[in-house]
Amino acid sequence: MSYRLRPWVSWGLAASFLLAVVSGLLASYPFHEAFPLISTVGIETVLPFGSFLRAFHFYTGQLTFLLLVWHLVEALLNHAERRRPLWRWSLLVSTFPLVTLALFTGYIVRGDQTGLAAGQIAEHLALRLPLIGLVLNRLLFAVAEEGVHRAFMAHIYLSVGVLVISGLWHFRLRAVRLEDLAVWATLAAAVSLVLPVSLEAPSFETLIKGPWFFLGIQELLRHLPPWLAGLVFPSIPVLSLVFFRLAPRGLALVLVLWTGTYVILTALGALR
Amino acid sequence: MKRYLLFLGILVLALVIGREALRHRAPKVYTTTSGRIEMCLACHEEKPEKAHAREVVGCSPCHLGDPLRIDRQLAHRGIIKNPADLRVVEKTCGQPACHPGYPERVKKSLMATNRGIIDTLRRYWGEVPAHAPAKRPGETVRELMLSGETSLALDYFRKLCGTCHLWLEKGKYPGFLGEKGGGCVACHLVPGEKAKKHPVLTRRIPVENCTRCHNRSGRIGLTYQGLYEDEGYGAPLVEGEFGAETLEDGRFVDLIPPDLHYKAGLTCADCHLPEETMGDGKEYVHFEESVEVTCETCHGGQGLTRKGRRHPKVVEKEGRLVLKDNAGKEHPLKAPDPVKCRHEVHRRLSCQACHAPRVPQCFGCHVRRDPRETQLDKLAGRETAGAWEEFRSYMRYETPTLGVKGDEVLIIVPG
Repeated sequence: MSYRLRPWVSWGLAASFLLAVVSGLLASYPFHEAFPLISTVGIETVLPFGSFLRAFHFYTGQLTFLLLVWHLVEALLNHAERRRPLWRWSLLVSTFPLVTLALFTGYIVRGDQTGLAAGQIAEHLALRLPLIGLVLNRLLFAVAEEGVHRAFMAHIYLSVGVLVISGLWHFRLRAVRLEDLAVWATLAAAVSLVLPVSLEAPSFETLIKGPWFFLGIQELLRHLPPWLAGLVFPSIPVLSLVFFRLAPRGLALVLVLWTGTYVILTALGALR
Repeated sequence: MKRYLLFLGILVLALVIGREALRHRAPKVYTTTSGRIEMCLACHEEKPEKAHAREVVGCSPCHLGDPLRIDRQLAHRGIIKNPADLRVVEKTCGQPACHPGYPERVKKSLMATNRGIIDTLRRYWGEVPAHAPAKRPGETVRELMLSGETSLALDYFRKLCGTCHLWLEKGKYPGFLGEKGGGCVACHLVPGEKAKKHPVLTRRIPVENCTRCHNRSGRIGLTYQGLYEDEGYGAPLVEGEFGAETLEDGRFVDLIPPDLHYKAGLTCADCHLPEETMGDGKEYVHFEESVEVTCETCHGGQGLTRKGRRHPKVVEKEGRLVLKDNAGKEHPLKAPDPVKCRHEVHRRLSCQACHAPRVPQCFGCHVRRDPRETQLDKLAGRETAGAWEEFRSYMRYETPTLGVKGDEVLIIVPG
């Protein structure tokens, strides 16, 4: 069965990502990572157009993630892995966890209830990693000792890194068309006008829900040990994608089952 | 297509600009002295008293809502007018950083459960057998509110007694009924200065707050202040006007000598312990199980309550015990008369048997229920079939009857 990639998804992904990076750079100007929550509230309530800018950055980031998932599924259906050497394919696949991590650190840097909890969980999970856990934590999180400084830097560096991988190399420096930028910017702006981005004050609530795409892992952490729920389980789709060429049918089944399980876990987590 | 997209883009841009132009922006990020963000302070000017100062506490720890927003709709999401309402009190007054443990205790207290009133009513009206346990499941105010269970006695309770408990939402009913209830603030709230736009929360509970409920049956709150609910009509008339004062609910009262303790400046909460009023964590059924303080606590009892607890306001000052009231005034404790009170022939007499020479008494109490009419069920908040009307034969302010309970001679007062 042959399948062709839909150009509007690819262009939409590129446009959304570019918009997310540019709006993020604009939002980072009034942001002080030493006072993350005060800064975020300042952007939201004091800075003219601040709440719009923050929402726009948030929704373009979400669009990037969703369109990347779509693009990845299309690439698999298109047997894209067969046309590239393993190292190139692996590098492309790595954009998925990197974008997820960039999105995740974005939640941490706002410094609210969800962000603080997400940072602490991520830190504990990273420290569970054998050998590289400590280094990874010092590079990406270390929120318990140092606040959101490292997460903020990781958010920016990861975004720029993925921009380099995807824009310069995978997209071959092609110019994003103005109308694509306009369409996706209009869509993100329209959503930003209607749906304010969540921001939760620290409270004594014992049930804190993480970012929506993290709810499945959060739910699994209730039932399984951290190394299994937080490390082994999320590694399954990444490794399946990397080695997809070895057993396409079997690994496709693994991916479908994993996704189904994750959707159920996410629903369970959301309903708590 | 391009033209439509262009139009849509311009429209969204115009909406973004228009909304920003209409938006109220805060001049800065407001924080409390502890550094917690409280954007509520950008709009709200209310000034509670010192203990809950706006600069220290802010608004959201009590009233919830979203302190990180300034858009009215978003900021007020989940807001509550009365933080002390028992339905939310664990999240507000009782949160770990403020007054932890109190909500659990208060919810078990008699002022929240009304178990005693309900048990007595049902028992006297023959709805439960004499040997039935006093503490029965489903027979507290909250449980009745949720279950909707009713009977003749419960219908009476719902309609005539249903506003004297802590689960009542403050301001739910009009007039003086609206002042009652509200959880913690049923006792701890007093009006504040108008300019401060916020009532005052206090530990110095004024007698008026207690009397809002404790003014029927034993009429303790009225008698303590020197008010006697008379037979009505305001008679005798004085200079053509009603000769008596009226209560908020329209009942006439005459002036009688107030209690000595009231004259000395003591309020109810000066003698009654927090464990009695707010509960000690146990779920009692009757008042006499819950009450700790006795006359002897201060008069000859070295400040110890019936349950052996040291009265928190009884302190030693220059070698003698004094009761330091809520206003800071010291009252030296007076020992009982060694001859009259300690005499062998008076051994069985309660203090009231001699020290309450006259008490208000209400004789001939009876009630009537008209099934054709409807009346407000105060627990359910709606009119239901059956209207109750209370009658009495007469009120008297005279020497009470003495009776024996166990081995003690007490006064017996019809109320």
